[in-house]
Amino acid sequence: MTLLQVKGLGKSYNSETQVLKNVDFEVNAGEFVSIIGPSGAGKSTLLRCINRMVEINEGKVIFDNADVGSLKKKELRKLRTNIGMVFQHYNLVPRLTVIENVLHGRFGYKTTMQGIMGRFTEEEKEHAFMLLKKLGIEDHAYKRCDQLSGGQQQRVGICRALIQEPKLVLCDEPIASLDPNSSKVIMDHLKSITTDMGITCLVNLHQVEVAQDYSDRIIGLRKGEIVFDGPSKLLHEDQINHIYGTELRELITV
Amino acid sequence: MEAGRTNDLPYIKRTKDGRINIKSGNKIDLVVKWTLIILSILTVMAFFFFNYIGLQWDRAIPETAHNLRVMFLEPALNHFSWGEAFYQVGITVGLGVLATVIGAVIALFLALMAAENLSRPWISKSIRAVVAVIRAVPTVLWVLIFAIAAGLGSEAAVLGMLFHSTAYLVKAFSEAFEEVDAGILEALRATGANWWHVVTHGVLPSTFTYILSWVFLRFEINFGVAVAMGAAAGAGGIGFELFMASGFYFDLREVGFITYAILIIAVVLEIISTQLKNRYFPASTNN
Repeated sequence: MTLLQVKGLGKSYNSETQVLKNVDFEVNAGEFVSIIGPSGAGKSTLLRCINRMVEINEGKVIFDNADVGSLKKKELRKLRTNIGMVFQHYNLVPRLTVIENVLHGRFGYKTTMQGIMGRFTEEEKEHAFMLLKKLGIEDHAYKRCDQLSGGQQQRVGICRALIQEPKLVLCDEPIASLDPNSSKVIMDHLKSITTDMGITCLVNLHQVEVAQDYSDRIIGLRKGEIVFDGPSKLLHEDQINHIYGTELRELITV
Repeated sequence: MEAGRTNDLPYIKRTKDGRINIKSGNKIDLVVKWTLIILSILTVMAFFFFNYIGLQWDRAIPETAHNLRVMFLEPALNHFSWGEAFYQVGITVGLGVLATVIGAVIALFLALMAAENLSRPWISKSIRAVVAVIRAVPTVLWVLIFAIAAGLGSEAAVLGMLFHSTAYLVKAFSEAFEEVDAGILEALRATGANWWHVVTHGVLPSTFTYILSWVFLRFEINFGVAVAMGAAAGAGGIGFELFMASGFYFDLREVGFITYAILIIAVVLEIISTQLKNRYFPASTNN
């Protein structure tokens, strides 16, 4: 079943540079897709067009049969509750506790007043603790987020995305600020989101080898255009060179 | 490194004697230097144009010293009692608290609208413009302006101080809000949170200590202004007593006593605010 369709997507922040050009792809429910490409290729912009954190200029994004570009404010909030997002710099509120940060993922389901008062149901709280346990950070639930390590903070970020009960999780370079060990833990968790919970994952990555190891499918982006789209085992050296515009031996791989 | 080798590189800026500059803004340095020189010359020249007629140095200096001694070494209360003094200090503190608290609440909402990352550009710009104008007019003038409507007294004083405090705090708060990491706002919006959710659970927790610090600072300022307003706008309180003691009764001892009372209150306020900050926000330095 097709969950996400991107048709002829184009985006430019100013008149001179076109960040995305005529991007076309489809993602089926339950897929784990990586997007690779050099810095400035438009990976982050592409992800943000899907939940409309940036406005779409040309083309269409259709998520779960809804045209993302034409949604009104309320419908857009509704859409965003169905799409979780994980960031490179975790983007937690550092002064709040872990559990508070996780529960922020429920705001999309709340009215203004419920949200302001911070009224969460017991089920939501139990769900939050269950997710923390699943990611192995239940001990830290009442710690302030700025006391956690990078890898732990990223796991809080994943919990925040999962408590939304999303159909799709967008990950914007989730391991770019982490050491190799924590990176592996995070990637394993992301992979298990897809395999165990059946949630579709769309991951921006810098590390080609990580992308090959973990994903079912890889999309290669270069200067705002898709130059590769296929199963990860079909991604060979010359395609990687084409995506990055270099020889493979020049790439420093982690 | 050999000096000769870098000589011909065009992007190195040098002074006349060939030394390398490490400041980029040569013009700014020059303007600052000349401003200081001109101000110094004007200050020295001013002393030659003062009106010295009637000034007797041999009398002026010892008598000033005598007055200061009476004021600060022999403070006493002559026209009112200790209880009265406390009551009047209380009124002054009350004026300050009222203006600060109401001002802070109003400023909080206006600052949310004035912060560029939380608001639309035209709303933010117009609030900033209005607030800048209000801040440019001194508090005393606002009090006198409100005195036209409310009559001289505590109402006009509180309104005027409130006006200026609000404007001051809007600027301080909105700048604190703009410092909030854009990623936090993005992450919350991406979960489907609306504006109020982002503000109450993302922006305010991140900036709470700054907001509190600014409110305390403004309260200290407002206490000082409230003393002055007691005299200038007849708002009552210890400032009015000070005005009566100095301008009406010429009672130096009482002036000294009142000055000490104000000083003690100011020190106590400072201690309380430092204690509060240390106790509840030990980590206010990080992030």
